Amino acid sequence: MRISVDINGRGYEGEVEPRTLLSDFIRHQAGLTGTKVGCEQGVCGACTIQLDGEPVRSCLMLAVQANGRKLRTVEGLAANGELHPLQRAFNEAHALQCGFCTPGFLMSMEAFLREHPEAGDEELREALAGNLCRCTGYLGIIEAVEHAARELRGADVQGD
Amino acid sequence: MADAPGGGVVKPAPFDYLAPASVDEALGLLGLDSTVLAGGQSLLPLLNLRLARPELVLDINGLAELDYIRDEDGRLRLGAMTRQVALERSELVGQRWPLLHKAVRLVGHTQIRSRGTVGGSISHADPAAELPAALIALDARFELRSAGGSRFVAASDFFLGPLYTVREPDELLVEIEVPAQPDGAGTGFAEHARTHGDFATAGAAVVVAPGGHARVALLGAGPVPARAEEGERALAEGADAREAAAAATVDVEDDHRRALCAELVRRAIREATA
Amino acid sequence: MAHDLRMDAGPQAGGLVGRPLGRREDDRILRGATRYLDDINPPGAAHVAFVRSPFAHARIAGIDVPEELDGVVAVITAADLEGRVGDLPVQGFEGGRVSAEGHPVLAGGEVRYAGQPVAAVLAESRALAEDAAELVEVDYEPLDLVLDARSSDVTMSDWHKVTGDVEGAFASAAHVVRASHSLPRLAPVPMEPRGAIASYDEGDDMLTVWVSAQDSHRQLAGLAAVLDRPEDSIRVIVPDVGGAFGSKGAPAPETMLVAVASMTTGRPVKWAEDREENFVASYQGRGMEADVELALDEDATILAVRARIWADLGGYLMPTTAIPTHTTAMLMCGVYDIQAADVEVLGKRTNKVPTGPYRGAGRPEAAYFVECTVDVVARELGLDPLELRRRNLIRELPYETALGWTYDSGDYERCLALAEELARPEHHSDDARVIGTGFGMYVERAGGLYETADAELLPDGRLLVRSGSSPHGQGHDTTFAQLAADRFGVDLDDVEFRFGDSAEVPRGVGTFASRSVAMGGSAVVQAVGALREKCDAVAARLGGGTTLREVAEAEPGIRASARFESDLVFSSGAYGAVVEIERATGRLRVLRLTAVDDAGTIINPLLAEGQVIGGVAQGLGQCLVEEAAYDEVGNPTFASFVGYSLITAAEMPSVIAAFVETPSPLNPLGAKGIGEGGAIGTPAAVANAVADALGGVRIDPPFTEEKLWRTLQGAVS
Repeated sequence: MRISVDINGRGYEGEVEPRTLLSDFIRHQAGLTGTKVGCEQGVCGACTIQLDGEPVRSCLMLAVQANGRKLRTVEGLAANGELHPLQRAFNEAHALQCGFCTPGFLMSMEAFLREHPEAGDEELREALAGNLCRCTGYLGIIEAVEHAARELRGADVQGD
Repeated sequence: MADAPGGGVVKPAPFDYLAPASVDEALGLLGLDSTVLAGGQSLLPLLNLRLARPELVLDINGLAELDYIRDEDGRLRLGAMTRQVALERSELVGQRWPLLHKAVRLVGHTQIRSRGTVGGSISHADPAAELPAALIALDARFELRSAGGSRFVAASDFFLGPLYTVREPDELLVEIEVPAQPDGAGTGFAEHARTHGDFATAGAAVVVAPGGHARVALLGAGPVPARAEEGERALAEGADAREAAAAATVDVEDDHRRALCAELVRRAIREATA
Repeated sequence: MAHDLRMDAGPQAGGLVGRPLGRREDDRILRGATRYLDDINPPGAAHVAFVRSPFAHARIAGIDVPEELDGVVAVITAADLEGRVGDLPVQGFEGGRVSAEGHPVLAGGEVRYAGQPVAAVLAESRALAEDAAELVEVDYEPLDLVLDARSSDVTMSDWHKVTGDVEGAFASAAHVVRASHSLPRLAPVPMEPRGAIASYDEGDDMLTVWVSAQDSHRQLAGLAAVLDRPEDSIRVIVPDVGGAFGSKGAPAPETMLVAVASMTTGRPVKWAEDREENFVASYQGRGMEADVELALDEDATILAVRARIWADLGGYLMPTTAIPTHTTAMLMCGVYDIQAADVEVLGKRTNKVPTGPYRGAGRPEAAYFVECTVDVVARELGLDPLELRRRNLIRELPYETALGWTYDSGDYERCLALAEELARPEHHSDDARVIGTGFGMYVERAGGLYETADAELLPDGRLLVRSGSSPHGQGHDTTFAQLAADRFGVDLDDVEFRFGDSAEVPRGVGTFASRSVAMGGSAVVQAVGALREKCDAVAARLGGGTTLREVAEAEPGIRASARFESDLVFSSGAYGAVVEIERATGRLRVLRLTAVDDAGTIINPLLAEGQVIGGVAQGLGQCLVEEAAYDEVGNPTFASFVGYSLITAAEMPSVIAAFVETPSPLNPLGAKGIGEGGAIGTPAAVANAVADALGGVRIDPPFTEEKLWRTLQGAVS
């Protein structure tokens, strides 16, 4: 089956079987390997991308289901090459070590912060529970997300 | 011969795929060798592990006619393809049936709820699922449609066993209907999991209203989500949360699980009566 | 800019060492520009799916491979490998014995654990390989199982040491305290599973292997040994690696298969493990039980320690399976001045996947066995647990233990005092909950052997360093650059590092046992220092005012290398935990965790703290939810995240991390190693806190709600 998908504003076409997973299409056919695969069961969150702005597990979608849809992956997070506040915050707070889980966290939390800009610390921690990390122990990630949330709120207030 | 593959299985077995454009078209395709793909959050893991090997996958994500949240004469009508995140965001549901909000917020994580559907969760019937228990406590009923017509099944009669419901292979769950709740009704939902990443171990959904209306539905207490009628009677007769919880869980096997369920019922009752 | 730096200005004042700099390597990770193993797709590659045993112990009576299989390139069994490959090598340890039960590449006549690879299917895609793997029929004849170390009668490793008059000490002791402990197996669960790609160039007779591994050296040595090829005919490239925690140190049998397959098929071959395989077939950690006895005099001075330890090693010895058992045994005096010791550790064969090094690799076990026993002593003798420790701490270092290691530096008393101060101990009991506090101290062996580095001045005057160490998340690029820039006298941006490609980097030892800064960092500093001297000499010849670029022009390719050797260094620490247990459900919450670590000189405090927190999270996982349990027929119950839980951000307590720095005299940096402390100190502290909360009743981890609830119920009635 031939599908056509918009990823980060660019069109990608490819031939897929019905059983081809969206994560495999993105990584091996569109060649965007920034999205990682950690379990193919929907638990670890490493494969999280955005579908029409909503965070989804790309390992739990068939590629055919993305036909004609708009996706965003980690490669599309930095606007014009400039890191998103969340990406900068991850670096500053040492929220990544091996980096394998990082794209999934970024795509999950960018969506979450957009939807819940006023989220408190408790809510942030619960939202973070949808992505697993084995290296950092999470405290750096929590700090990064709190910092980015504050910055994004501040930017809105100042009308930047 | 053991059938556990021992690892190494991560791509689905081959299948045919169709995406019907209407409910009628979908009904004509249902059968023993086909599996319905709704949100995919429960089905895809099974396909990836090859624990599910359908010949045909029927993708019903194109059935926009099943995606709605409506208030009709005071009853809530949810199309089976209502995304869990849409249920979570619905102000109507938040105001009139807050128990559904309390339950759906605990389903998986945001990323799961973006795709997961209300109908899918119900049809899959995982014994640890939150929505079935909440819908039982709300006296909901489900519409099952086949090429031959429709039938309605009360939520409390729908679930037969883990991953097993009354739905026949030629039927599609199309709508969930929730009646108006009594005036002054309070609701509570409490669940427990090993970590925030795990499926629920147990949970309780409670509705109480002045005049003796009481519903207590448990998940994780037995093979299916079910009403704890002893607990409901106790509540209706004025028992306090502790007594009602004990009555609600008297048949739960395993003393730790019983204690856990009782604690969750207590919390849900306190939330409902606060 | 380095190339404008005037040489006679002397080395820069430095000052990068000790600074909490953010990592340079983050940018490409954040942008998704990384290349982990599965991101690499050589054109024309065949993909592997393994047929794995569903039985824990069985004879293989026959393997039937169907003739025509769609898209299949080859199906390989042990018969096809006969004469081409040997079993994986087995590493021994000093003073003990290990048997020669190396892991075969593919199972021959027998399988010894569920998940053991039996056959490999190569096909045009992973999906097609899985389709074909289902059609391979293996005729298994199930055999009896052994699932418990104590009852196994096959010993694969043993070590026993007696020093001092242990019998006499126990005979004359005022107090003898006994305690038994059991630590279940754990799965390392790196977020990136294992994988390997091999490509063989017949013309050059050159085998190139990409492996998600902790270093290229051990992979290369393993390949050379198993395939019986000269080392210079093999190139190993380690790409970006998504975590390892010890599990990607020893080469995997699957990697060997991939290598052979690329040679026999003439095509590149790729294996990217899936999560279920990683759970089931990647070697596991812990899995030890111990009976510990302490003999004490009237003043509660510990006179002697006696310990019998059983290690559940699994069906075979992977190259490093036996190493953690030796480490545990050697650390059974802990941080205490104990003159007499009798320690024996037996590594037993069971029908489970092999165990091996997993973050801490024997040290968490030792800390747990010793520290929990010390608390039992305190309770039995009615002493304050910290006072009891203070009476027995080693105070004068260097110190040679009764078991034979020499602790190079440390200030155990200071660590303990700081932990006590920061931990804010709490004890409480009411109808709703109990709160308890516990402490655990540790000493751990790090570094050792040697490490290498090669420093070269580039034509533009920048510095290029090739290191034998290899990162998999720890931040080597930044940390080593801090060391190199300071030593050479240039800016951080003017230093570039290369890791992981055996064709590029000097042959070294690798990344494990918290050795990278102490050993790899020291080699870097020595190589860079030697290069600096050479450059100074050139500059002196050329006259004053020479820039580095001019030096490079005068002597193109000027370089220096170093091989730094050292005995083991010993990090240590004191951890404190405050826990709350809810009576109604048995739910355990760690309210706060205090981590005081002495890893000697800290090069980058931000990254060091990251290592501690990461280790703490794994230690907490061990305490709260993690257990790699097999059922009664030897099937893994942990084949997915449903059966094996990891904690999430929502479970992490607040952690106070502090460093005490007693520099090691054994390397120019004074560094000792911080990578594993969090995983070593946490379980002992939490276990002692739980025992405190339970009024002295001890249970083994994981401290599940069910166990805690039942214990509290028992205590009440």
